[in-house]
Amino acid sequence: MSAIDTAPAPVLRSFLRLVGWSGLGLIAVAVTLSDFLAPAPAGASGLGPLLAAPSTLHPFGTDLLGRDVLSETLHGLSVTVGRALLASAVAIAVGGLFGAVAARLPRAAGATLRAAMGVFAAIPALLLALLAIGLTARLYAPLAAGLAAAPLAFVRTHDRVAAQRRSAHAEYARAMGIAAATLLRRDLIYEFRDTFATVAARALAAVTIILSTVSFLGFGATPPARDLGLMIAAAKTSYLYAWWAAAFPALALVVLILCARLAAGLEEGERP
Amino acid sequence: MSDVRRILEIAELTVAKPGGGAPELDRFSLTLDAGESVVVLGETGSGKEALVRVLGGFADRTDQIAGTIRFGDGEARPAAKRPRAPIRIAYLPKPSPRSFVPHVGVLGQLTRVVARKLGSPLASAGEELRLALERLEGAPAPALLNVKPRLLDPVCMAWGLLACACAQTPDLVLADHALADLGPKAVRTLLAVLAAEQKRLGFALLYATGGLQPAARLGGRVVVIRRGRIVEEGDAARLASGHAHGYTQTLYKAIPRLSLAESKGRAAARGQPLLQVFGLDLVATGRREGITFELRRGASLALVGEEGSGRRELVRAVLGLARAPAGRVVFDAVDLNILSQAMASRLRRRVAFITGADDALDPRMTLWDTVDEPLRAHLKLPRDLVAGYREAALKRVGLASHDGRRTVASLGAFDKRRLQVARAIVAAPLLAVVDEPLRGLDAFAQTIMREVLTDFRAQQDSAFLVVTSDFTVAQALADEAMVFKDKKLVERGLIVDILRSPKDPHTSGLIEAVTLPGLSQNPPPV
Repeated sequence: MSAIDTAPAPVLRSFLRLVGWSGLGLIAVAVTLSDFLAPAPAGASGLGPLLAAPSTLHPFGTDLLGRDVLSETLHGLSVTVGRALLASAVAIAVGGLFGAVAARLPRAAGATLRAAMGVFAAIPALLLALLAIGLTARLYAPLAAGLAAAPLAFVRTHDRVAAQRRSAHAEYARAMGIAAATLLRRDLIYEFRDTFATVAARALAAVTIILSTVSFLGFGATPPARDLGLMIAAAKTSYLYAWWAAAFPALALVVLILCARLAAGLEEGERP
Repeated sequence: MSDVRRILEIAELTVAKPGGGAPELDRFSLTLDAGESVVVLGETGSGKEALVRVLGGFADRTDQIAGTIRFGDGEARPAAKRPRAPIRIAYLPKPSPRSFVPHVGVLGQLTRVVARKLGSPLASAGEELRLALERLEGAPAPALLNVKPRLLDPVCMAWGLLACACAQTPDLVLADHALADLGPKAVRTLLAVLAAEQKRLGFALLYATGGLQPAARLGGRVVVIRRGRIVEEGDAARLASGHAHGYTQTLYKAIPRLSLAESKGRAAARGQPLLQVFGLDLVATGRREGITFELRRGASLALVGEEGSGRRELVRAVLGLARAPAGRVVFDAVDLNILSQAMASRLRRRVAFITGADDALDPRMTLWDTVDEPLRAHLKLPRDLVAGYREAALKRVGLASHDGRRTVASLGAFDKRRLQVARAIVAAPLLAVVDEPLRGLDAFAQTIMREVLTDFRAQQDSAFLVVTSDFTVAQALADEAMVFKDKKLVERGLIVDILRSPKDPHTSGLIEAVTLPGLSQNPPPV
């Protein structure tokens, strides 16, 4: 439950959130145990015939180089999740933390920052990520994705904290001589407690999309570390006659993003 | 009997929340004839809310409802079904922005309500509403209502809602705490108008309230309910006379009365001046006729006036929260206007606030944190000492038995109000600003709140600045008063003197507003 909306969430919404978090939990288990769960090590080729359809031996089939798609999907998922976690940490730290602090800056400075970030938040994050990668190197793709997703987190957090700052209770606290630093600390603690899970899940969904797309375009993960985006890109030439090599990694990606979105509570209406 | 039309007949209405516990409303029966008015009097949570919910047709889906309701000449239907009344019911809610959609003008919304209830086109509904507003004596012009709900002052909103109800030419008006948050003078005027309209249109009136003023002013029948059951039902005059159930008697006894006796109180002129205000102007007039006054340590001053009369601006200017167009404020021998924000903030540590606003406390904080905060923010005290102060303060306001880890958001209005007092007590303020402390509370909570505040004043040496529209509150908490109207000071002096011989007609209006008819004018029991 968020701090501003104190009404109890409808049953359906909390149920969907539960579904989302359980899904993320299962994915976390799959990622940690991927080396044990996957029948083959990462990148092992020639395990079977090339482009074999799904069978009992290879439930997800094999790809162009005869790699087991099930194992590759599991390994790819773990690479994607690892990079996405790093990126969301960047997004939250940069966006969320700075957003909260900016809301407490002197009015002019805070408003300027908010306006600048608002402009960045309006640009598709994918373009920002490509720009950041172009400026640095593709080793830093998670960092770039995190930075690209940061403006939106910044704007959201800023607006929530700014609303608290303008609220009646903050004014009364100031009128009783309670220092601005105390109020900021209070807001940060409650913001963190009330919204961290939501913000993290939402950031995870956003950066996963960015990272996978960037990889698909060839600016992201570099072989031998193959994430899901790269796998889909590699399988796209054979997609029309061997759908499984691309479809199963894509399915994994969809499930991951869907779970993260559900866990974040589907709060599209809350946008500033 | 047969010539009067029966409007409402409730039989054995029971409303319960799922999950057991005592029902909110327990086998409640009531009949109401055309032209009759019934005041349902009870504390918050006594079941009157459930009654209005069911009658108004907006019961919660989880409510378990039994019993029957019969509207007008229709047949008795199970109360659990949505009422399809053969009569017109107008609903008169609390004049709060929450009763409206926030983004649309109030006038438009009221017009829509009239149009839907009458089944008429918007234009003619607007005309009806305009006529109704014109008919009400003292109502604002329709154009004044054409603003968003947040910007409209509650009194205008109450006028609008009343006109809207009357424009529907209803058979039954369902008033739900309709005037709870307004000042006594406005309540008096509006109740008089409501009574006049009732006589003219002949509707039946069901008025659910926690305050005694409607019961005393509307007359008619009063139904006292407590914990979902009817304690007593009878004529308003009889209940007020003292020949009533013990519970009703305690209720009426607790009505504050103005006392004309000399206050025994604390001498106003003791100690050093705490607050000196020189020529403070609330409106930029250019002329030098500002307000000058002095508040000594431990003294107390009431700023009496209606909403928007300038009392609150004065307080804000005095505390340096807003800068007044002209004038000088000296707090504790320091001129506030020349201080930096940080220094002014340091000075304000010795100021405490108790307000009637329910959002004055951070809803996310726990009960304990709220009380601890002034101590922890201002003094570096060890934990056990803080806990000791906190416990003592919570005991004094009667919140010690609450779980301290509950959040403020989960508390009711009355508990929040008392929590504010506890927070003020631990701060050991030099100056306590008390701003409409009883607003929106029911009669029962008001009584306790009064006691808590008088106790606070008696125990602590703080100076008091009381902002109120109610002279009984002013008298309970202060010795001197300044009366404001339209951002101007109209009268000042000792409260007893003002009560004995008010010089300004506005002041007499305010005094009359809290002098209830039909009640003996005994001095308040101390």
